[in-house]
Parts: sequence; C-alpha cells; structure tokens
Amino acid sequence: MNGSLVRPGSASAAQRRATDDPARGPVDVSVIVPVTERPAPLAELYREYVAPLRASGRSFEFLFAVPPERREAVAPLAALAAEGEPVRVVAAERSVGETALVREGLRASRGRIVVTLPAYYRVQPDGVMALVAAVERGADVAVARRWPRRDPLVNRLQNRVLHAMVGSIAGNHLNDVGSGVRALKREAFEDIPLHGDFVRFLPVLALHRGYGVQEVDTPQHPGDLRTRVYRPGVYLRRVLDLLGLYFLLRFLDKPLRFFGLVGFFLSLLGLITLVALFIRKATGESIGDKPLLLLGILLLTLGVQAVALGLIGEMIVHFSAAGRRIYRVRPLPPAPMQ
Amino acid sequence: MHPPAPPGTIALSVVVPLYNEQESIPALVDAVRGALAELPSWELVLVDDGSRDETAAVAERLAAADGRVRLVRLARNYGQTQAMQAGFDHARGDVVVSMDGDLQNDPLDIPMLLAKLDEGYDLVAGYRKGRNDKFLTRKVPSFFANRIIAWLTGVRIRDNGCSLKAYRRSVLQQLDLYSDMHRFLPALAAATANARITEVPVRHHARRFGTSKYGLSRIAKVSADLLAIKMITSFRDRPLTMFAGGAVATVAAGVAIVVAWALLPLRADSPVERAYVLPGAALLAFALGCFLLMLGIIATVALHAPRALGGEPHPSTLAQAPE
Repeated sequence: MNGSLVRPGSASAAQRRATDDPARGPVDVSVIVPVTERPAPLAELYREYVAPLRASGRSFEFLFAVPPERREAVAPLAALAAEGEPVRVVAAERSVGETALVREGLRASRGRIVVTLPAYYRVQPDGVMALVAAVERGADVAVARRWPRRDPLVNRLQNRVLHAMVGSIAGNHLNDVGSGVRALKREAFEDIPLHGDFVRFLPVLALHRGYGVQEVDTPQHPGDLRTRVYRPGVYLRRVLDLLGLYFLLRFLDKPLRFFGLVGFFLSLLGLITLVALFIRKATGESIGDKPLLLLGILLLTLGVQAVALGLIGEMIVHFSAAGRRIYRVRPLPPAPMQ
Repeated sequence: MHPPAPPGTIALSVVVPLYNEQESIPALVDAVRGALAELPSWELVLVDDGSRDETAAVAERLAAADGRVRLVRLARNYGQTQAMQAGFDHARGDVVVSMDGDLQNDPLDIPMLLAKLDEGYDLVAGYRKGRNDKFLTRKVPSFFANRIIAWLTGVRIRDNGCSLKAYRRSVLQQLDLYSDMHRFLPALAAATANARITEVPVRHHARRFGTSKYGLSRIAKVSADLLAIKMITSFRDRPLTMFAGGAVATVAAGVAIVVAWALLPLRADSPVERAYVLPGAALLAFALGCFLLMLGIIATVALHAPRALGGEPHPSTLAQAPE
C-alpha cells in the first residue's frame, strides 16, 4: 500500500528498486522531499505543490524520505495514500542527513525527471513546473533562484556573501545554490557523486561533472520570508563546508599542490625568522632567550608536517585512481551510417 | 558509443587533445592523413576538451567526412591529462601516438616513432629539436624541469613536455592518469608498467594559430607535482621507507642538538640557552620524527587498504518501504 510505513527486513529489500516492480512503470516526474529539521505540515505542503503538477497532466509521484526521529511528521501522509494519492514514504533505519535522504529517495524513485523539494516552503508551486519544463527543454539540471526576493535584508545579505564565496571557489555564477528546489534529468542525478552533506552544493557538483545547469527565476513563497539568523555553530559549519568544497573542486586529485604551498610558506617564514636571529647573534646579541627562536623552529616543523601530509594525500589519490576515470564523455548525436 | 573494431585490425591510433583549436583542425587532419598514407590502417581520435569555440563542430564535420577520424567530446574542460586519458581509452590501435593539436608537432615524424618502437621499446618520446618557443618563459624553465625530472625519477628523457610520443597499448592499459600527470607520463610508465623507454628527435614548428595555453605560473604547480611523482615512482610499493627516512633524519638532528647541548660550556651569560632553547629544539625534532613515522604507517594503510579490505560495498542503511 502506498504510503504505509514498513520497515524493510533485509538488504535485498533495501536494494530493490521501485522500477523492478512490474506494477509500477516509470513516471514523468518524481518529487523527493527529504524530511529534515522543522518540516512544515507535510500533507498541506503536498496539497499545495501537487496542484500545478496534476494540472499539467504529467504522471508523477511524491517520495518523502524520513529518518526515524521524524516518523510522526509523515504520519498524516498515510491518509493521503489511502485516498489514492501517489505518495510514498522512504524510511531510513537510522538518523541520517539530507544528502543520504535525497540519495535514497532517488534510488526509490522512478521519474524520468527528479525534483528535490525541501520539506518547508521556499518557492511558489508554479516555480516547480517551470523547472520541470526547463529540463524537458534540454537542461540537465534546473535550479530555482528565488527571485524577486521579498525576504528581510539579513537573509539576502547572507545569501550574497555565501554565493560570492561559492562563486569564487567554484568559478561559476550561481545565485541561489541553497534554494533546495531543483529538477534534474534522472541520468544526470544518478551520475553526480553525492557524499557527506554536499547535497546543498548539488548544482555546483553538477557543473563540475560537466552537466548544464540553468537557473530559473522563481517567485518566493510567503512561507520563506522569516528572518533567518542561526547559531554561530551553523555558520562555522557552512565555512567548513566551503573549505571542503574548495578542496574537492580544486585539489581533490592533487593534494600536494595545496599542502605543498602551505608547507612551503610556513617553512619559508620559519627560515627567515631563524636567519634573522642568527644574523643578530653574529652581531653579538644573545638570541637564546628570545621566544622568536622557538617560533622559527616551530614554523619549520609545521612546514615539514604540511608537506608530509600532502604526500600522504598524493599516495591516497594514486591508489584510488586505479581503474577510475575522472572525465565524462558527452554523448554524441546518433551519427549517420558511414 | 563507437562501434568496436575487430581486434588487431587497426595498427595505429593517433590521439589529439583539442582545446579551442578550431583553426588548426582541418590542417591537422590533412597533415595526419598525408603522413600516414603509407600505413594500411590507422585512426585519428580527436578529443574535444570542452572547447568554447567551434572546435567540436569543425571536428565533427571532419569526422563525418572521413571514417578514420573520430571525435570524443568531453562534458567540460578537464585539462590535457584527462583529454589524453579519454583519447587513450577510446583508441583501438595496437600502437597509440599522442600529439598536440596546435600543429607544432609534425605528423611526418610518426613513421619514425613507429620504427623506433619496433626496435623493442614500449614508449618512444619525441624531443623537440630547434624548438620554436619563447626562450625565457618556455625554454629555460622547461630545460631545468626536464633535468630535475630525469634526476628524480631516473627516466632520462630530454623533453617531457613534448606531446609527440608513441606507446604500446599494453603500457597505456596499465596507466590511470590523474592531476596533471601527462607531463610525467614516461616516468609513470616506467614505474607502474615497467616500460622500456627511449627518445628520438622530432620537428617542431612555430605556433600558427591561437595562443599558447601555458605560462610561468606553472612552476609552483610543477614543483609540487615533481615531489609527488618522485614519491610515486620511487616509493609506491614501500611508502614507509620514505617517511622513515625523513624520521631518521629529524631524529638524527635532534640527537645532534642534544649532543651540542651536553657539550655546551656552562657560562654565566647563557643560562636560558642552555636550560631551555636547545632541549626544546631537540624535543621538537623528536616529535617531528615520531609524526613522520606515524604518517608512514598511514601511507601503508593507503597502499594496502583499497585491496586488502576488498569485498562488496556495504548495503545501504536506508531502505524504501516495500508494498
């Protein structure tokens, strides 16, 4: 029964795909809703977003991916499913983050186009249809850009700063990576490696994998207008995310270039300190009682450590590269027979 | 994507990575066709590395006109290493020749490379005689880089930067290129595929179209890559040895400092030096030695873990609710 919550008993059930079931053919659009922190009432959310999709005449399904601690949030969906609405619940066995929820939702889905939708209000329901249409016109990935923005200046400033950083790191000009509303071709979605908690950077990763990403201006939902100021820890995590993204995009297969540069400058600083001190000693000054001496030695040590860590990274890359390919080939149009 | 050719029917694949070379391609294809007219079977694999100009369209037109010319299009601009790897992966010949797309290499040299390969080598590298490039920004750094590469890796090639090289297919099948490793292909081939390597002089023409895609900023990158390639070629089977070497050196330095400290005469005017600074420095050196030794063990983990752990990927902890 759609929407019923059944705990799968085995790994084979976990790996079984919906498309293996002959009763379920592929649909046009799958909407994946990862049920993360503070979800909106999901039955209402579903009713609001399903309307334009239903009106468009496309076949579709909604999948709510939910970790154990938020099971009660999806309870109202069972009633919807009983009414015959195409709603399914993808149940996680343990507490996992948004990325894993999306990944499992994708695995269970069967849409030719897959949409990710936050479990709270971000964009107007019609905007989702605009994304689907963009993918149908040929984009690999379409991302909602909340525009025009009507939320408080604080939100928009944060958004600007984040995207200035993402843009300089990834060398792209995306304006709203974090809207969370995206439509993707199924093949592209399945091909983009999603690990850790990097689903928030999905458009960036798609570009990196060589897919065409299109931003679609989408009116903001009235439910998205509250001021968002987070605890300091949240901002710290964002900064760490960006550092991770920076490394992933720039240095993943060449870690020594990063650590080598860091190590080089640390050692250089250490050497300059030491040389300066020895010159002063040569002029008769006592240097033994100067903390600068220890600083110089410490910097030198740290520099060597950075380079050594970079070498470890290179080692890992070398052995992980075996049998793998980084590039992706663009499919050619069917060629005439020669 | 491409129909597989019956094995052994194509003797030679010429692989050319292309990035924004729309003007060069027609002349390039003509030159290759002319140079290989004597050969019974060959193919030209053009790899479009996400060019922003009309490279792909021009190449596609040429490929449609001549069945021996094939086009592989990368999804974005990945850089020369990945473009070459893609070309190697799609090449069907028993021998593969790589070449630049800017017409600075001359396809007329290819038969000579093949003849040299037949003398019993696995890889024949060309070196550019009378190289037509800027002296200060291209030739001088390249001269030193090649000397250092040869010294570090033991593979004595005069010109690693020359793209014109011929390889046996069996060698390429053992290589997985990442980062900018195309610059160190001979060293990598010697280390991982045990390739027999030699070199021959080849022609080099001045650039006719477009602009060079390199600059001096490469020096820092190449230096880091050199260190990496040194480690890969010399220590890939015993990384602990390398780190232990570093550890021994630092511990030796620490011991030297301790000895100096013990021998230092007790003077009234240097109590701080004697009491704190030298022992502190020695302790730091010992700590660094321990750190390097532990890193060496981690390197051993990196070497063995991917294969020793083995097995299938763990099934997901998540599951879809079945009907």
